Amino acid sequence: MKLKIGIYWGAACGGCDVAILDTHEKLLEIADMADIYLWPIAMDFKYSDVRAMKDGYLDAVLFSGGVRNSENEEIAKLLRRKAKAMIALGACAQLGGVPGLANMYTREEVLRRVYLESESTTNEKGIMPLESSKEDGFDLELPRLYNTVKTLNQVVDVDYTIPGCPPASLQIYSALGLIADDMLPKKGSVIGAGDRALCDECARKKGEKTITRIYRTHEKLPDAETCFLEQGFICLGPATRSGCGSRCIKSWTPCRGCYGPLDDVSDQGIKMVSALASVMEPKEEKDINALLDTVVDPLRTFHRFSLASSILRRKKA
Amino acid sequence: MKRIAIDPISRLEGHGKITIFLNEEGAVENAYLQIPELRGFEKFVEGLPVEEIPRVVTRICGV
Amino acid sequence: MAFEPRIVGFLCNWCTYTGADLAGTARVKYSPNIRSIRVMCSGRVDPMFVIKALYEGADGVLIGGCHPGDCHYQEGNYKALRRYLMLKRILPEYGIDAGRVRLEWVSASEGERFGHVVDEFTEEIRKLGPLKIKESLVESMKTDVAHHGEEHQAPTGEAR
Repeated sequence: MKLKIGIYWGAACGGCDVAILDTHEKLLEIADMADIYLWPIAMDFKYSDVRAMKDGYLDAVLFSGGVRNSENEEIAKLLRRKAKAMIALGACAQLGGVPGLANMYTREEVLRRVYLESESTTNEKGIMPLESSKEDGFDLELPRLYNTVKTLNQVVDVDYTIPGCPPASLQIYSALGLIADDMLPKKGSVIGAGDRALCDECARKKGEKTITRIYRTHEKLPDAETCFLEQGFICLGPATRSGCGSRCIKSWTPCRGCYGPLDDVSDQGIKMVSALASVMEPKEEKDINALLDTVVDPLRTFHRFSLASSILRRKKA
Repeated sequence: MKRIAIDPISRLEGHGKITIFLNEEGAVENAYLQIPELRGFEKFVEGLPVEEIPRVVTRICGV
Repeated sequence: MAFEPRIVGFLCNWCTYTGADLAGTARVKYSPNIRSIRVMCSGRVDPMFVIKALYEGADGVLIGGCHPGDCHYQEGNYKALRRYLMLKRILPEYGIDAGRVRLEWVSASEGERFGHVVDEFTEEIRKLGPLKIKESLVESMKTDVAHHGEEHQAPTGEAR
């Protein structure tokens, strides 16, 4: 029987949806495999169509994007009820992703910057988005922007996760194949990715690491063959799951961790602290501090995609 | 007054909803397009190392 | 009730834990605020343990290792020092005072000093006051409410 699936985005950029489209001619196979009942970027189904479905009607929902506002949460809960399997698609749904960096700030700080202070904003009357407002006598509603960005599994029960920013297209395709063939692994598994660290699949040469200083990418040209970390560039490979096909590494760019942590690691960024500290050379406090001075913006580098899923989740008030 | 909601608007990148208000005769009295989504890139790119910015702002829109 | 700091100690088996043992047998009096956990080496203390301890309700974390050059595994304490110094730079970004985590070298013969370190750290944490990360996280999400349509469940504040 043909699968019934829904594809939705919360606080996302649409990159995950494009990754589905990037399966190219395999998209036709996906269309053979499954009927799609919701996909805002590509099809015209509305929320009312989803509300009209029986609970558990959909075999699977691919949910990309984090939970940033009340609409994201409501639709996530609605889709959870309608879906037999809820699948977090991509780094934002799994970890909060780049938009999760907003957890460094409060809701008010974000709103003020965006609507009042930003250089490109003209807002003389200081109008701010309101959850309900009256415009010329007409009642209008907007979702509530949340103070804390949440991952999908902080809001609803998630059955499977396909990591990546964006997930590799073929991995999405093979994950859909698992659903169609009823070959899904145990609940909670990460599908469509490896189970070892990125370093394991990275083709660069690795030797003994003794880092004496960190270079920013404009300070030195990396060589073509050696491990980035060994050359002094921060690379999140040791703390990141494999499966992306080393896309960034192959483009001479160190990893920033979009495939998320390995199994049993609850905090990718802090794991990276541990990994980086163990390959640094200095032993004296003074020398260590001098080296650490060359690590710019550690929190947002180590938690580039995972701040909302880190143990502490946000900056404390 | 009748109210028609097109929620979400589809086949484009981004979130949006359209609310149309109809008067007693069924003619359009007013219509609003609202963008319910905000992520706050304007805030959290502040102070980021400049060489990291291209890898962050590409996540504004992935289409 | 007056605030009593809750301190988690990760103490290395070969030096600091043995030092703490000595403090006990020598009847050294020190603050009862520390809950000691024995690890084989300070280099085994993953920064994640520290973060997790703070999240779960510790007001401060003390890591105890062998003096430089004395590590039973040659290099473990240097690793601990580097992790500790890096963690101290990250904690303030999370809005947590870096003084809540401390690394001390205490050898097996320094029972007296162990007591002294615990006393001093306890007083420092007492000054900083309670941390209450979980509570502040729940508080920060109090207004994150989906109010129309779907039924709402209060966020629990639990980590994954």
